[in-house]
Amino acid sequence: MGFLGKGLFQGMAVTARNFVGTYFDRGTREKLVTYQYPEEKPPLPENSRSFPFLVYDGTPDAMRCVACKICETECPPQCIYIVMDRDEKGKPQQRPKVFDIDISVCMQCQICVEVCPFEAIKMDNDYEKSQYGRFDDLIEHLPDLLKSNEYYNEIKPTEAKAVDAKLKAEAEKKAKKGTSKPAAAAPAKPAAPAPAPKPATAPAGKITIPEDAPFTAEQRAWLAGFLSAGGVATSGTGVSPVAVAETTGETPVPLPEATPAAEAPAGGWPWHDPGLGMSQRMDLVKAAPLADKLMAAMAQTDCHACGYDCRGYADAIAAGSETDLSLCLPGEAETAKKLEELMKEAGKL
Amino acid sequence: METIYQLIAGWFAGKPEWLPLAIAIAVPILFIVGVYPAIFAYTTLVERKALGRVQNRYGPNRVGRWGILQPLADGLKLLTKEDIVPRDADKFTHFLAPVIAVIPSVLLFAIVPIAPGLVPVNLNIGILFAFAISTASVLALFMGGWASRNKFSLLGAMRAVAQVVSYEVPMVLAAVAVVMAAGSLSTLDIVKAQTRGGLEIAGWFVFQPWGFVGFVLFAIGAMAESARTPFDIPEAESEIIAGYHTEYSGFKFALFQLGEYLAAIAMAGITVTMFLGGYLGPGIHIPYIGGFIAAFWFFLKLGCMILLNIWIRGTWPRVRVDQLMGFAWKVLLPMSILNIAVVGLWHFMGNKVLAWGVTAAILGLAFVILAKISAAGNIEKRTYRYAN
Amino acid sequence: MDYAFWTISGITVLGALLAVTLRNLVHCVLSLILFFLGIAAHYFLLRADFIGAVQILIYIGAVAVLILFAIMLTRNVTGEAGPQEVVGVKWWIGSLCAALTAGLISFAVRADSVAETLSPGPKATVAVADIGKGFVGNWIVPFEAMAVLLTAALIGAVVIALEEVRNRR
Repeated sequence: MGFLGKGLFQGMAVTARNFVGTYFDRGTREKLVTYQYPEEKPPLPENSRSFPFLVYDGTPDAMRCVACKICETECPPQCIYIVMDRDEKGKPQQRPKVFDIDISVCMQCQICVEVCPFEAIKMDNDYEKSQYGRFDDLIEHLPDLLKSNEYYNEIKPTEAKAVDAKLKAEAEKKAKKGTSKPAAAAPAKPAAPAPAPKPATAPAGKITIPEDAPFTAEQRAWLAGFLSAGGVATSGTGVSPVAVAETTGETPVPLPEATPAAEAPAGGWPWHDPGLGMSQRMDLVKAAPLADKLMAAMAQTDCHACGYDCRGYADAIAAGSETDLSLCLPGEAETAKKLEELMKEAGKL
Repeated sequence: METIYQLIAGWFAGKPEWLPLAIAIAVPILFIVGVYPAIFAYTTLVERKALGRVQNRYGPNRVGRWGILQPLADGLKLLTKEDIVPRDADKFTHFLAPVIAVIPSVLLFAIVPIAPGLVPVNLNIGILFAFAISTASVLALFMGGWASRNKFSLLGAMRAVAQVVSYEVPMVLAAVAVVMAAGSLSTLDIVKAQTRGGLEIAGWFVFQPWGFVGFVLFAIGAMAESARTPFDIPEAESEIIAGYHTEYSGFKFALFQLGEYLAAIAMAGITVTMFLGGYLGPGIHIPYIGGFIAAFWFFLKLGCMILLNIWIRGTWPRVRVDQLMGFAWKVLLPMSILNIAVVGLWHFMGNKVLAWGVTAAILGLAFVILAKISAAGNIEKRTYRYAN
Repeated sequence: MDYAFWTISGITVLGALLAVTLRNLVHCVLSLILFFLGIAAHYFLLRADFIGAVQILIYIGAVAVLILFAIMLTRNVTGEAGPQEVVGVKWWIGSLCAALTAGLISFAVRADSVAETLSPGPKATVAVADIGKGFVGNWIVPFEAMAVLLTAALIGAVVIALEEVRNRR
């Protein structure tokens, strides 16, 4: 039966149902959808993320971070600041002394997580970070950042399980390798294929500029950096190798015992630049001695995961005192492969 | 007023002559400026909570338990806000408008009876006075809109004026039917006319066919007159920001809101008086406490009307500007004129049961015909320029 | 009662004077409304409640609003572009006419003996019922004539509006 104004009364019935329904909605949130925020919080989806945190196993001392500074380099808005810890003699300790993240700058892009070869930095989902101060209060220091692996498993079970499995596989492999020393021959892929769903470090060399494009070498290098950095040109990265050499002196805390620039071949070092692919780095060291070539193949972050700094590792391999070519963790499989290739070329393998 | 004077005149036998008179005048005034603004304050809270529930959320519930201190917080906030007057505004008129917005709304309560014999002023022209005063409220809207020197304000003012002038006609004509049936303009007499055979409920005008039609017409007119949804086009947020009070802030804005809500509450009170039997209800003749029971019935009915207003606000969409005038002149006006004729018929038919049937049939037929006509005229097949 | 009379009279005269002397048209109308209110207050003072309410309803609710509507559709609301002179030859002619009219009315009122006999006492209230009975009793013919006149005006307005609508199409 239709009559003029019927729809008006149907509408009134709907609103009346909603009105009454809200008083009988016991937590189903069918009729009463509000979460009263500070008291009630809506469940977060597992993939939600806020700001990065650092994972430790067991105790906060056993943090996974080795202060390799890859994340610091890769971070598009440059919000990470790392200083490596050293003992009294100045020996690098493979852990950060200072690890700051400025969450007023962080854009929650997760790139630091994706580039970290040690599964040390992960995205948190704690979004209640507001502070009263605009500057210092918004910088998270190492103690604030450190959270246990259990916490990680709690907030992101699926991802954490995959990461744990990967780390376990790596540890087993390492243990096996340790027993079959000196198995310098055929250092296959250092890590088992990661079951983690995340992609590995974005291969920088993949973005190619056509050969016939009207660029000078310098522009080309800059463009490569620009493209691989995802369109975010940041100081220190994505500029020409020469510029990099100049800016390395400006990194927050230059390592005092870092190999002096005088030893570097023409063009300076390091070439670790997310804009420079392996082949481009190799081009730059075509005429250089073997040790430089080897170093160019590495990630050049001085992360000390191998037990040397990068220069030392390269020299040791070149001198034959180190036979394990798979020690460069930041460089991952690409570096290991290239090192093997270079050694074969030089006839030392 | 007179009732109070008679009541207390004896108590002040030895005192100066003017004292009981002054008290008799002061008490209703204090009642009006004390009780109704309090009702306004809690109407805003109830409205926000009810609208919230209608929209599947809690309303305000942070200030005090169940948010009962929310009106206080709102008032304090508005009091402490900066009062901004646009540079090009007509300063004096801009200042005067919110003041004038409140006056007619408060005056309206003067003729609303809350218990037998208890009406602030028993005017023998009661209903006419209400209409005269409520018309004046449009001036405030115009002054505010014009003085702000803002095109949205001016548009809002023009809409307000056009709407109030148009909807006043069917509203007054709907009231004329009641006045005819009651034989008086006095609100007390109108309430008394709604008793029948000793029963306090059966005689309400809303239970007569013409009374029901009049009730609907009057309620629509009252809603339009006080610019409440679905007739809030003078302050349609999505079209003209806030209409005539776009350029008002702080306490001037609060005064506009106060005037608007008081007008809506007063109109609800007049609707109750004219159609829902005013203070009539079971138990009003009990000695001593009958007056309180009557006041209880009146405020209960008033609350129901306010809730109906809120419910409608939470449900119905805003009337389109071009449909607004057509609805007033082509649907409400013919219906209200017919209603007057039907009341005459009702008055002269002896058998009220037969009269009930006949008048219901006439009005029902008229509604169907009007619906057919307006549906034929209004609903066109919509054509879309790009979507088809 | 005298104080009330003089106060209200003062406000009324002030409203009337402002209505003709102010330059801004909207201010003029608002002053005119003040004047209408004063007249209504006079009616209330004379215990003519019905006439007072009707005065507000018709003059403020309808006439003033109509004037406001007309003003809102005009330009030059502030009156700055028009002639700046208020007191001129026309003003004197107008004043003369007004004074003559006022004198005529007062003469007529004074000359009419009915005015004296009918002057209401302070307690005499003009009942609505009496006015209604007067309309449909003694004065039915003028009342109906007025009704016909207004209806004719209404129909005329509709015809003119329809003409415009047709032209637009």
